[in-house]
Amino acid sequence: MSSAANNQTFERLVRPHFDRLFRLAWRLTGSKAEAEDLFQELLIKAFGKLDDLVHIEEPGSWLCRVMYNLFIDEQRRFKRRRMLTVEEGQLGGDGLAGLPGPGDPHYDNRRIEKLERLDSALAQLSDEHRVVVLLHDTEGYKITEIQELTGIAIGTIKSRLHRARVRLREILTADGTLS
Amino acid sequence: MTNDDITIEDREIQALLKDYPMPQAPAGFYDQALARATHEGSRRQRNRWLATGFGGAIAAGLAIWMFGAMLLTNPDVPTVNAEIPGITMALEAPRTVNFMFSSAEALDSAMLTVSLPAGLELQGFPGETEVTWETSLDKGKNYLPLTLVAVTPAHGELLARLEHDDRNRTFRLRVDTP
Repeated sequence: MSSAANNQTFERLVRPHFDRLFRLAWRLTGSKAEAEDLFQELLIKAFGKLDDLVHIEEPGSWLCRVMYNLFIDEQRRFKRRRMLTVEEGQLGGDGLAGLPGPGDPHYDNRRIEKLERLDSALAQLSDEHRVVVLLHDTEGYKITEIQELTGIAIGTIKSRLHRARVRLREILTADGTLS
Repeated sequence: MTNDDITIEDREIQALLKDYPMPQAPAGFYDQALARATHEGSRRQRNRWLATGFGGAIAAGLAIWMFGAMLLTNPDVPTVNAEIPGITMALEAPRTVNFMFSSAEALDSAMLTVSLPAGLELQGFPGETEVTWETSLDKGKNYLPLTLVAVTPAHGELLARLEHDDRNRTFRLRVDTP
C-alpha cells in the first residue's frame, strides 16, 4: 500500500473515534495539555500498528485500551518524579473554560460555582479514584466497560467508585456545595 | 448512564458529575495530530540536545508535545514538598539535576529558559538569574543535565520553561540549601 493510501486508511479507521478518545485522554490525565500529549502518542503508536488495526473489528475499543495502557505506562515510569506544570491553567480550554461566562445569556453563576468546586474536589482525588468516577458518572461508562478498558477487577472498580463518591461528598459538603 | 451500585446518597454527587463539562479538543487539533502521526515515520531525527549542551536547529517546526518529568541524580532524595520535587544542596558543591522532556515529535527552535532562585547558579553562568537558549528535541526522551551551584543559602524554586510556537510548559524544582 502506498504512503498516501496508508494515511487514508489510517484516518478512515481512527477519525470516527477522535471525540471519544480525546475525552478519555482528558479524563485520564485531568488536564488539556496532557490529554493532547496522550492523544498524540496514541495516534503515533496506532499508526505504527496499522497492519494490525485494519483487522480489528472494534477499532474504537482497541484504541481506548491502547490509550489507557499508554497512560498507565507513563504513570508507572514517571509518577513519583514528574514535575508539576504550573501554567496549564493558562493554556486555555481547560476544565471549565467552555462554560458560558458573565454576559452570556446562559450564564448561571450558581452552576458555575458548583462546577468549579467539583473541579477542585476532583483534583483532590487520587488518579485511580478520579478516573473511575469520571468514566462512570460523567462519561456514562458501565462498570463492565471500565473493566474491559482497564483490566481492573469489577469489585475493585466498584470499591473505587464508592470511595471516590464518598470522598467527593466529604469535600463538597465541607465547602457547602452539598447539603 | 448506568445505575450500577447507585445509592440514594450518591445521587446528588452523580447529578453534579453528570453536569461536569465535556472536554472539547481545540479547533484544528485533530487534523494536526493526525498529520503528525502519519508523518512521524518519515521524520528524520536529529539530536543536538546534549551534543553541545545548548543550541541547535532541526527540521521543520511542529507544535510541541511534551511530557515533563525530572530524574534526580539520587532518586532517594526526599522531596521538600509532597507535590513539588525538591532537592537539598550543600553550599559550593555542584550538583547535577537531570531534566527529562519527552516529545512525540522531533522539534526545532524550542526555547528553554531556566530561572533560578537567589543564591543558586547554573555552573558556567555565574551571576545569571535567568538563562535562555534555543534547542531542539528528538522524538522520544530528551535529557538535559543542569549543574547547579549554591553560592549562598538558597530557598526557592527553579523554573524550567520550554516553549515552542504558541505552546509552553513550565516545570518546577524546589531547592533548599541549609
